[in-house]
Amino acid sequence: MSLHRIRLIMWKEFLQLRRDPLLLRLIFIMPIVQLIFFGYVVSADVRNLATAIVDLDKTAISRELEADFSGSGYFTIESYPQSEPELQPLLDRGEVRVAIVIPEGTQARLDRGEIAPVGIVVDGSDSRTAAVGSSYAAQIVARMNADRITQQGLALSGPGIDARVRVLFNPSLRAVNTMIPGLVAAILMLSVMAIMSQAVVRERESGTLEQMFVTPITRGEYLIGKVTPYVLLATLQMSVVALVGIFWFRVPFHGTVIEVAAGLGLFMVTVIGLGLLVSLASHTRQQAQQTVLFIMMPMMLLSGFIFPIESMPAALVPVTYLMPLTWAVLLLRGAFVKGVGFSAIVPELAVLAIFAVVIFSVALLATRRRLSE
Amino acid sequence: MKAALARVGAVAGKEVKHLLRDPRILAIVLILPVVQLLLFAYAISFDVKNVPTVVLDQDNTPASRHYVQTYRSSEFFDVLGSADDLAQVDRLFDQNRVRIAVIVPSGFARSIDAGEKAQVAVLTDGSEPNSAQLARAYATALNATYGQQVLIEWADRQGLNPARAGSIEPRLRTWYNPEGRSSNFLIPGLMVVIIMIVTVQQTAVTLVREREQGTAEQMTVSPLRRGELMVGKLLPWTLLAFADMLVIAVISIWVFGLPLRGSAGFLAVSSVVFVFAALGLGLIISAVAPSLETANISGLLIAFLPAFLLSGFAFPLDSIPVPLQWLSYAFPGRYMVAITRGVFLKGAGFPELWPQLAALAGYALVVLLASSVLYRRRST
Repeated sequence: MSLHRIRLIMWKEFLQLRRDPLLLRLIFIMPIVQLIFFGYVVSADVRNLATAIVDLDKTAISRELEADFSGSGYFTIESYPQSEPELQPLLDRGEVRVAIVIPEGTQARLDRGEIAPVGIVVDGSDSRTAAVGSSYAAQIVARMNADRITQQGLALSGPGIDARVRVLFNPSLRAVNTMIPGLVAAILMLSVMAIMSQAVVRERESGTLEQMFVTPITRGEYLIGKVTPYVLLATLQMSVVALVGIFWFRVPFHGTVIEVAAGLGLFMVTVIGLGLLVSLASHTRQQAQQTVLFIMMPMMLLSGFIFPIESMPAALVPVTYLMPLTWAVLLLRGAFVKGVGFSAIVPELAVLAIFAVVIFSVALLATRRRLSE
Repeated sequence: MKAALARVGAVAGKEVKHLLRDPRILAIVLILPVVQLLLFAYAISFDVKNVPTVVLDQDNTPASRHYVQTYRSSEFFDVLGSADDLAQVDRLFDQNRVRIAVIVPSGFARSIDAGEKAQVAVLTDGSEPNSAQLARAYATALNATYGQQVLIEWADRQGLNPARAGSIEPRLRTWYNPEGRSSNFLIPGLMVVIIMIVTVQQTAVTLVREREQGTAEQMTVSPLRRGELMVGKLLPWTLLAFADMLVIAVISIWVFGLPLRGSAGFLAVSSVVFVFAALGLGLIISAVAPSLETANISGLLIAFLPAFLLSGFAFPLDSIPVPLQWLSYAFPGRYMVAITRGVFLKGAGFPELWPQLAALAGYALVVLLASSVLYRRRST
């Protein structure tokens, strides 16, 4: 093992990277673009839903309903159709997402002490909007009813429930706080696998791999020299993401750097191994790229990074545990958001270590077999 | 003209041969969409239901049990069991076993009997903000309703008549997707994402490869015109894109019961225009990218990420920052998702969706023109 030869290989990789200036720039633009997208688009809270009010009653209670809905911050009243049939085209064109229909005689019913139905229409073609819209509509109406009783002066003397709903760990409920830790792991996987998978195939495609092995370089040196530049690049990318997350998006960091570094280190070994395996199994760069996409897609979708695991069918939950990314995301979220401490992340670390050892040794064995052919 | 057609045919034939020589690419292009479709239809959803909940009932009276029962009968909360003490609740949260805890302190029943406000605490785990947000809203609504019920019962016993306050009852109706199935919402958008990946990525890569291998130069000395070369190169990929689209549509309609309420003809016309727009984007990348790796990453940046994130496919565009909303108009995915979702779920057609189609057509024209300008500049 000669440090000098390893350095030479690394230098060669860097030179090759520099010869394609666009690539190097893209490697750095990529995490920034992803940060913007994931930080602002995926984590966007559903607010200001475009809402229509069909007020067929035109009384004090309908004005009160309107005020409560628009005052909540979740609904923006955009139009006032005169009748229910006029709603259809508005929802069809997607101009409004929610509609409130106040039937004629609502006030009269309430005055008689009856139950007055009020229609809440949500656009089910957008399921997040529908979920948020219906839950907040339920909350607003329930509060209104409680307020009405209070106005009667009864509640002052009568019993009731004083519920304190408290959010643990992420009290502001900002989605960015859980998105950015996941993104750190996802970007690591994306960039290491996308570039690593190409590294060895390219040499084989252009025939330089054979030349390499008539030189005194050993396989171990070759591998280390080949991998190190990309590890450095990926580390740089991750640090950028984490720092922008903490300082720009103000994501709290409750864990310790050592926990995070240990987890990410293990995860990095795993994805390097995966990238190498793809590289060895592919004959052309196009194949390698497609294979990476094929592996990464399910990993991203099933890791709970974007889509919550608890919304998946129970039969699929075990599958999500087979994805290394799932564990990396769990660990990073624990460290950033919860600050659970070292003892609580031991299971995640252990699983990541198993993945790292197994996948990397398989990759090493495959490399030896392949390169000695 | 006939000779030109023959030349286009020859290039297309060559591209098909390339494809057949590399069956893995072909397999991936045809199988990946199906895998994605299965994942999105079965696995992915935003439906938050049955959130794991634990109850700590320190009062343990008929009144408190009745109160807890309202959580059990709600669709949103899935009460897994009761905890013995607060330490156990903490542990369950740390191990990610529950997301919500309902704590009823002792004295709950006594307070209600005495006509006082009974205190309860609902804790939710904010590390999954989506479900925590919904949990907060549902818990608030549930408690307000329950409190009102308690008050009415009390007033009845006191001989008062609180019912004269009346109450409003929300009647929820979900249009277009009454069962609230996430897959109905996701699949129409997914088609757009998949087509973007297949067409943009592949066209970008296939032309750059010719250049890298030096065969592009050979072709320029042949009698081929540049336009013929491109049409020939892109033809097989265009056909593959349509095959993908058809496969996804057929599987989603027949297997997953996705309703096709609108006009299939309008959908087909829009798809053609959309595929041209996507091909144009791929051509621009191939004109600019010096190497295969660059073409790949640019494809990810220009095709995949915006189609996934800025098309409204899974993440509503109404609530994102305004500059990003403007940016979303710069990518064709947004228009096409509105079209597919409108046609499939809302039964919309030309009268409702012509602005989107017009935008898409304009977009395709601009992109194709730009790519031909870039190519001309490159070759001179």
